[in-house]
Amino acid sequence: MPNYTLNIRRYSPESGEPAHWEKFEVEMEGHRPVLDAILYARNKVDGSIGIRCSCQAAICGSCGVRINGNPALACNTLLRDAVATAEDGITIDIEPMGNMPVIKDLIVDMDAVHWKKVQRVVPWLIPAGEPPEREYVVPHEAMVDVTQTMACIHCGVCVSDCLSMEADPDFVGPAASAKAYRFVGDPRDAATKDRLVHLAEDPSGIYDCTHCFKCVEVCPKGVAPMNQIMRLRRRATGDFQIKDRNNGYRHEKAFVNIIEKWGTLHEAKLLPDSYGEGLLGKLNPEAQKNLIGSAPTAIRGVLSGKVAPIKVLHHHKLPDQKKVKDIYEKIHGRDERIELNLYIVGEDADALEESAAVAVTEEGTS
Amino acid sequence: MKVAYWPGCVSRGFTPELHGAMELVAPKVGLELAELDRANCCGAGVIAEHNQELADTLNARTFAMAQAQDGAELMMNICSTCQGAQSECQERLDASSEYREMINDTLAAENLRYEKGVTNKNFLWVLVEDIGLDKLGSLVKRRLDGLRIAPFYGCYIIRPTDRLGYHAHPERDTYLEQVIEVIGAESVAYTGSHKCCGFPVITMNKKTSLTQAGRHLGDAIDAGADALVTPCPLCHLNLDLQQPEAQKFVNRDLGIPVLHFPQLIGLALGLEPKELGMGKHVVSTKQVAAKVTALAATA
Amino acid sequence: MTVGIISKIHPVRSHSNAAQGGINAALNPDDSWESHAFDTVKGSDYLGDQDAIAIMCSEAPEEILHLEHLGVTFHRNDKGLLGTRAFGGASAARTYYVADITGQAILHVLYEQMLKYDDKIDRYEEWFTVGLAIDDDGRCTGAIMRNIRDGAIEVFRAKTVILATGGSGQIYKPTTNALVCTADGMAMAYRSGAALMDMEMIQYHPTTLLGNGLLITEGARGEGAHLYNAAGERFMEKYAPNKMELASRDVVSRAEQTEINEGRGFPDGSVHLDVTVVPKKRIHEALREIVMVGRDFAGIDITKEPIPIRPGQHYIMGGIKTDVDGRTDIPGLYAAGEVACVSVHGGNRLGANSLLDTLIFGKRSGAHAAGVAKSMNMPSVADSQADDVRNEIQAIIARDKSGGRRVSDIKDELGEMMNDKVAVYRDEEGLKSALEVVKRLQEESKTAWIDDAGTIFNQDVLGAIELGYMLDIAETIVMGAIERKESRGAQFRTDYPERNDEEWLKHIDIKLKDGTPTIEYSPVTITQWQPQERTY
Repeated sequence: MPNYTLNIRRYSPESGEPAHWEKFEVEMEGHRPVLDAILYARNKVDGSIGIRCSCQAAICGSCGVRINGNPALACNTLLRDAVATAEDGITIDIEPMGNMPVIKDLIVDMDAVHWKKVQRVVPWLIPAGEPPEREYVVPHEAMVDVTQTMACIHCGVCVSDCLSMEADPDFVGPAASAKAYRFVGDPRDAATKDRLVHLAEDPSGIYDCTHCFKCVEVCPKGVAPMNQIMRLRRRATGDFQIKDRNNGYRHEKAFVNIIEKWGTLHEAKLLPDSYGEGLLGKLNPEAQKNLIGSAPTAIRGVLSGKVAPIKVLHHHKLPDQKKVKDIYEKIHGRDERIELNLYIVGEDADALEESAAVAVTEEGTS
Repeated sequence: MKVAYWPGCVSRGFTPELHGAMELVAPKVGLELAELDRANCCGAGVIAEHNQELADTLNARTFAMAQAQDGAELMMNICSTCQGAQSECQERLDASSEYREMINDTLAAENLRYEKGVTNKNFLWVLVEDIGLDKLGSLVKRRLDGLRIAPFYGCYIIRPTDRLGYHAHPERDTYLEQVIEVIGAESVAYTGSHKCCGFPVITMNKKTSLTQAGRHLGDAIDAGADALVTPCPLCHLNLDLQQPEAQKFVNRDLGIPVLHFPQLIGLALGLEPKELGMGKHVVSTKQVAAKVTALAATA
Repeated sequence: MTVGIISKIHPVRSHSNAAQGGINAALNPDDSWESHAFDTVKGSDYLGDQDAIAIMCSEAPEEILHLEHLGVTFHRNDKGLLGTRAFGGASAARTYYVADITGQAILHVLYEQMLKYDDKIDRYEEWFTVGLAIDDDGRCTGAIMRNIRDGAIEVFRAKTVILATGGSGQIYKPTTNALVCTADGMAMAYRSGAALMDMEMIQYHPTTLLGNGLLITEGARGEGAHLYNAAGERFMEKYAPNKMELASRDVVSRAEQTEINEGRGFPDGSVHLDVTVVPKKRIHEALREIVMVGRDFAGIDITKEPIPIRPGQHYIMGGIKTDVDGRTDIPGLYAAGEVACVSVHGGNRLGANSLLDTLIFGKRSGAHAAGVAKSMNMPSVADSQADDVRNEIQAIIARDKSGGRRVSDIKDELGEMMNDKVAVYRDEEGLKSALEVVKRLQEESKTAWIDDAGTIFNQDVLGAIELGYMLDIAETIVMGAIERKESRGAQFRTDYPERNDEEWLKHIDIKLKDGTPTIEYSPVTITQWQPQERTY
């Protein structure tokens, strides 16, 4: 049986000692989860190793830790996979999750961070008036859609390594945002606009997400929190035209309009347009401040020679820019936005493979 | 090797030195660039945020143009953000034939058609996977001995791994380090290499944005790097153009040059800092340039 | 009046999460609660109390609508109405579901509601219950708790106490049950004098993953998946020609165990569950969790390959004996959910009836307990009870490590032994030896030692207390199984292979009297469904 070395980050506030690493040798099959190895160490070597765990099946969300620096559930990370990311090929580093205070060993204070953020998004259904006599009649697809966010087990793995949260601890964060979409995407909820206004106007709300895909990458349940944040933005701007003070709306509009007009990005225009309705447009006070704040940057760009002054005034249109505009017109002309959520439809590649397989068989028999 | 080349917008806008460097480097590594000069912006995720179908259609248009390039083996980009934004659209386009047909219906107006499965790779991937590190090593004209380079990938080229082909190429998140070593420089390990530059929220939350940029730059300096290198011009905007601003958010002096990936390759292939546009950076590259030009030619 | 919810883990970590497949209700106009009730009675092998079953099944439709109105994201049919899937032992498709995370969705929505009523409900998250407070009149007046985060022992006074502590699966190894399912509530009530009932009725789920025993939802078979033996036979044809894979769980588990025992299983000791017959799109939409379980824990793409499975310990039909309002033998003490035995499941629980049991009798318990509390004064609890607990915990921490065994070693031996001797097939010899082992382990547990002497998150000492809970309850399980000399529902005695209504159509109650477990009987309530032969 293979031998693994667990290198566990230990911390006991009672001991008065600083956090330190401690190694445990574990003999175990590689297809067993890291959690089993931790529990082996706890059960056979040192019962004081602190880790929350319960279901051992990736549904209770208790055992979020960092394994070799990557946040994950200990229960659904197999030893053979964990060791593949070990620097020396044998020692598996296990640490508490990030962005949250450590209580003991691998146990972090989720109340202080995660659950507070969940509370911020008003995490319950707000229907309009009294419920119907029977069930709400809603499309099946809508319920499958919100099941993606309902599938969140609040393990905190995405919170642990959220890069925006590292820079701005107030950021509402991936998990709470996904929770928000669970209501915004629920046709039974009647507070959609209020929810979106709140999330858009919050300086640490949906426009504080830096789009780094970290949460999408680490989520053990396929919730894809960042995708939900993008959908929240899409609904805030597209459905409700919420002109937030964070320039989220303006930035999106400016970007989209520039591509429509020029075909490629015209950065020199993007900055002022993101802050106002164009350089000559009326600026809101916050936007003025930001634009002035960004002026040194633009000037530096010109001085360094990377931005020719002429570029600020003049951006060449794409040769086929009209074709791009036609695409815009066609798609904006549709009655509704079309969104392909692979979570709902799945991929059809295998279906094609299957039919190909059938065809092969038919040929074989004919 | 002929590639359908999509330089992206920023490499011809705010960071023209990137596009320029790529055009100089390409023939030296045996790449023939067939530039997609009629292609449009990838949307950088923002258009997808606005309207998914619009983003998918615009990128399907680019893919279709790439597929229509005679003799091109694949499509190449020089921007992590293009890579990520385009891969996201491609994932949807390739997943559903029904959806693809709908998009192709729109493209039909231009006599374009996207067929499932375009290969779209950043120059970094092309260099390692298609040209090869051995070949690169043999092409080096000036080993960058003594140069300490901190890699900075940009999120869009490393996450999410399943969309970006990491199952087939699990080492894609170490290519920068590998390349840096092959050209004789030293790869500097620091905490920020695979983190976010913060650029996407620069207009929405400057503090969140530049705190990130500033920290990574500071970490690289603390780790003793001479310069950063990035395959993403948008990262370059936050790390270089915004670097003087970023100092205010991390309360420290920075001042570390940030090279575009093709510039670094160019230096090793014997090109001079000036022709690679290194004079066009906001943070001075003079010290790096001086170090490099002091190095003797390898061959 | 105030309500406090006390849980040894954060509430959304609770094991209701694991109820994947759905929740039953005769809500469809073509269906009837009587049909649901009959299926439940038959599923129970006529050991369920029919008055309680009638209440559960008749109140079920309203409960589903209530949950739907609160926000549970039940999947719909093509008309946008609540959709159903087929489930085992049911004569109609009446299982309402959220993909295969139904329990999780319900649990999380109920937690949402707790946050909504934050000002009316006090939440005590990560508090461990060390004992019930019982006054001189034998009334339950609260509980003694340990704050897991700082080790403080506190007395919680209460007019009424409802135990909703779940099952006892950790007595077995492997089990589908979470590590927290350590029989806490059952043991505390039992030690305080409450009767336990139907404890011998341990459900083995037909489809648990070979090796680690992870649950594969019955919803898989509900969506059309098949079971095969090594010869490629859909063996359920022999055992349940009408319902096939969707017979009652005891029937399917026994069939699998028979195939395996008689050499028709795969060499690894499994039979195969084949989900590939379900359309891929439907798998992704409705069985996503199982796709992930296959991928993450078995390295299998279930849309392409069969899953090696075998029967695995899953549920206890027995529990603290209650009436239909959740009242136990002890005044002021209620129980609801898996910890309780009303009894609606009798000898075998139908899939998708556990969430229903929990919700219906949880609500009824709450209503009754609140009604009683309104007309009461707050009782007092002697501080000495907290002192006793403090001393008990100190004593565990102080145990000598040079003698005795580790707590975890005893737990492992218990689990493996129970899974060997008190499983799908049982006999007197095995059960008696099981009882001996349990008694020995009880003795050994008194000197079992731990490592952690701290106060903050000392999970080690809680494990020692939980071991005590489990051993007490294991004893009652084995005693019940020895006592019931017949085969009914989940209890199959190879030495008594037939059901014997004449002698054993009755509940076995076990009570602690003067420190000794004592067996009593109570009648099964039969209203309109007379016992008949049970075939599927």
